[in-house]
Amino acid sequence: MNQKFWQSEWFGPLLITVTAIVIVSSLNPSFLSPFNIQILLLAISVNAMIAFSQMIIIAIGQMNLSVGAIGGMAAISFGGMMEVWGIPWPIAAVLSLSIGLLAGIANGALCAYTGISAFVITLASLSIFKGINLGITEAQPFYDIPDTVKSLGNDTFLHPLPWLVLPAVAAAVLLWYLLFRLPLGRAILAVGGNEHAAALSGISVPRIVIVAHAISGLLAALAGIMLVGRLQIGQPTIGDDWLILSFAAPVIGGAILTGGHVSVAGTFLGVAIVAIITQVLVLFSIDPFLVQVVLGGLILWAVGINRYREVRAHRKIAAGAI
Amino acid sequence: MTEIFNAQGILKTFPGVKALEDVSVSLTRGSIHALLGENGAGKSTLIKVMTGVYRPDGGTMMLDGAEYEPQNTHDAIVKGIGVVHQERNLIPRFSIAENIFLEHLADQPLRRIDYPKLFQDAQRWLDLLEIDADPATPVDRLSVAKMQLVEIAKALSLNSKILMLDEPTASLTPHETDTLFGILRRLRDDGASLVFVSHKLEEVQEICDSVTVLRDGQNACESRRLDELGRQDIVRLMIGRSEMIPDWVARDRAEGQPVLELSNVSTKLGHKAVDLKVHKGEIVGLYGLVGAGRSELAKAVLGKFEITDGEVLVNGISAKINSVADAVGRYRIGYVSEDRKSEGLVLIHSVLENVGIPIWRRLSQFGGFLTNGTVRKHTVPFIQKLEVRTPSLEQQVGNLSGGNQQKISVAKWLAAEAQVLIIDEPSVGIDIKTKAYLHELIRELSDTGTAILLITSDMPEMIALADRIVVMNEYAVMGGFNNTRDYTEMSEGIMGLIQGDETAAA
Repeated sequence: MNQKFWQSEWFGPLLITVTAIVIVSSLNPSFLSPFNIQILLLAISVNAMIAFSQMIIIAIGQMNLSVGAIGGMAAISFGGMMEVWGIPWPIAAVLSLSIGLLAGIANGALCAYTGISAFVITLASLSIFKGINLGITEAQPFYDIPDTVKSLGNDTFLHPLPWLVLPAVAAAVLLWYLLFRLPLGRAILAVGGNEHAAALSGISVPRIVIVAHAISGLLAALAGIMLVGRLQIGQPTIGDDWLILSFAAPVIGGAILTGGHVSVAGTFLGVAIVAIITQVLVLFSIDPFLVQVVLGGLILWAVGINRYREVRAHRKIAAGAI
Repeated sequence: MTEIFNAQGILKTFPGVKALEDVSVSLTRGSIHALLGENGAGKSTLIKVMTGVYRPDGGTMMLDGAEYEPQNTHDAIVKGIGVVHQERNLIPRFSIAENIFLEHLADQPLRRIDYPKLFQDAQRWLDLLEIDADPATPVDRLSVAKMQLVEIAKALSLNSKILMLDEPTASLTPHETDTLFGILRRLRDDGASLVFVSHKLEEVQEICDSVTVLRDGQNACESRRLDELGRQDIVRLMIGRSEMIPDWVARDRAEGQPVLELSNVSTKLGHKAVDLKVHKGEIVGLYGLVGAGRSELAKAVLGKFEITDGEVLVNGISAKINSVADAVGRYRIGYVSEDRKSEGLVLIHSVLENVGIPIWRRLSQFGGFLTNGTVRKHTVPFIQKLEVRTPSLEQQVGNLSGGNQQKISVAKWLAAEAQVLIIDEPSVGIDIKTKAYLHELIRELSDTGTAILLITSDMPEMIALADRIVVMNEYAVMGGFNNTRDYTEMSEGIMGLIQGDETAAA
């Protein structure tokens, strides 16, 4: 892009992130201790995956309320397969990812071919997937998680970088490559920007919708599996609290909720901001429930900025038309 | 007759375009005034200035002896200028009565609505406008004509001093139009001041008393009595013919294998046994009134609507087009939509991305991924060729002028190397200069061998560009003839075909 970097949508979040790090670390040097960085990166890695799974749906101008339910279903499948059937963890992981992928494809196919809004479809599938989760687990966690998985979910490969950073970074790079370098990704953004125009330019809209939901399901499942490693337990409640974060991070990162515009870097920074705020509240022993309040405020602030940009752009459009 | 409204020297500019320049209009009580002009002449801008959508950049308006400066649309309504828009503005599931009195259902927001009284009040308006319906009927159960009358009732119930009707007959049958005209005449005789905006000159001559014609954002004539003007005079005022129709020679390119051929095509939407051929390098103009089924036919060819009978042939071979992706990818048929903003372009994306959409897949076929460099190489030549005026290739197309947006819509299909290009109403909302440029471009494009199907309701545009003119009416082809480029002969031929007069096709 030719625009100056300080005009890009990720510059604001970057500025906030850097400022927050500087201020917080000067007030409390332990913020930048290797251990704290490790904790921070663990949270960011999982949350980034959650945010990406929503971001890809925002890109096509829809929403996926079932990201948490898919993640939870994949997580307990992962835990259950290892504990109950004794399946080796890599195979269990692949199978659980496939479950997420299929769940996403189901969402996408319903959205693409019924003409019902994604909101309603994913609201219904949220309930279905969560119900399956609770039916399988009877609301009891799976405790028997292999040590390798626990280690991958918490330890570092290069101090203070935890293993979990690797899938998060890989997902970010691949998503960027997809959205900005592959025709498929360009088509995803075109559909989100103007479905009719995309269709009349020869893009198969139903196919794109299904692909986006499939990617969303896959990423949500990946987040669920990573969380099993990190929590060292196959919790049925995994995914219950993802929804707000999944929207907050892309929106803070400059995504337009009506579709057609998302930023991978911005979303990543959105996740970082949320993680830093959470950490700060813990470090200064402020009531963690305040996180929810701050998160809500951040969403309003970010949407407000996007809305302002939109209105300004629309005014230009209106003024340019006869 | 007393004057009720007067506008003097209205100026309205948009970036790069003077939409209105020194425009004046005067309206009198008890008369029906026609506002005429081609697409893009400034009619809609003038209506928007009068109804408070836009603030004029210069000039004065007087309404009923007082200065009139509407702050917004609501203000305009309160001050007494009502509009019935071309699109319906009713709330579908609400009753007729609720729609008529939508802005004042009760005296206070929290007061219970007195439905019996509401229905009773509505009945008065229904009687006045001779609408045969129960005021409690939801409006979505009404015919289009009745909905239109309900909108008129709504505007009148707000004590409008002036009622503007934008293309009120566009979706009415001749019989419904007669009924509407009867009602409009009665309203006029009761002292109302009506403004009638239409493309149909017969109707204007039938019902209007005076006329203002706009051309290129200026007055071609101001508030003249219609009985002093003949039909030819009005047409001349509207199109300023000499400048509009370039001095090109008539061509006959209907030879050899047609690139696109529709044989006996019927569609789910109601097209009946349509036959149509477009040859290499030929421009076939598809003329018809709004609602004749032309854009719908184009979209059926593109695979958006189902073809129930007959077949589409591309280069003589039966084409299986199940989706637009097939049409674009396999048969290289491009479509420039009449509605750039909602169907043609991704407004929030850049120039480069909009032009690149149809070729992304092709460009990445071998290497796997797209680089900005590759996309640029295959799009920039066309963007330059069309002289798209943009600060940069990264500019959002939503920020460009209508003319430049249209150039981008065309550039996209040049980049895609379309062998058939369907162009739907290319000059809606673009300035005269760009329009002339687009015409040259379309002509040039046909010279390079592209088969072009031009859909337009703009008669001069049709006669300027088409090699062959095909006329559609009510989802069927009425006939066609070669374009001799003689305006009078051609326009009469077209009108004759629309009215079903076979002899005019000679």
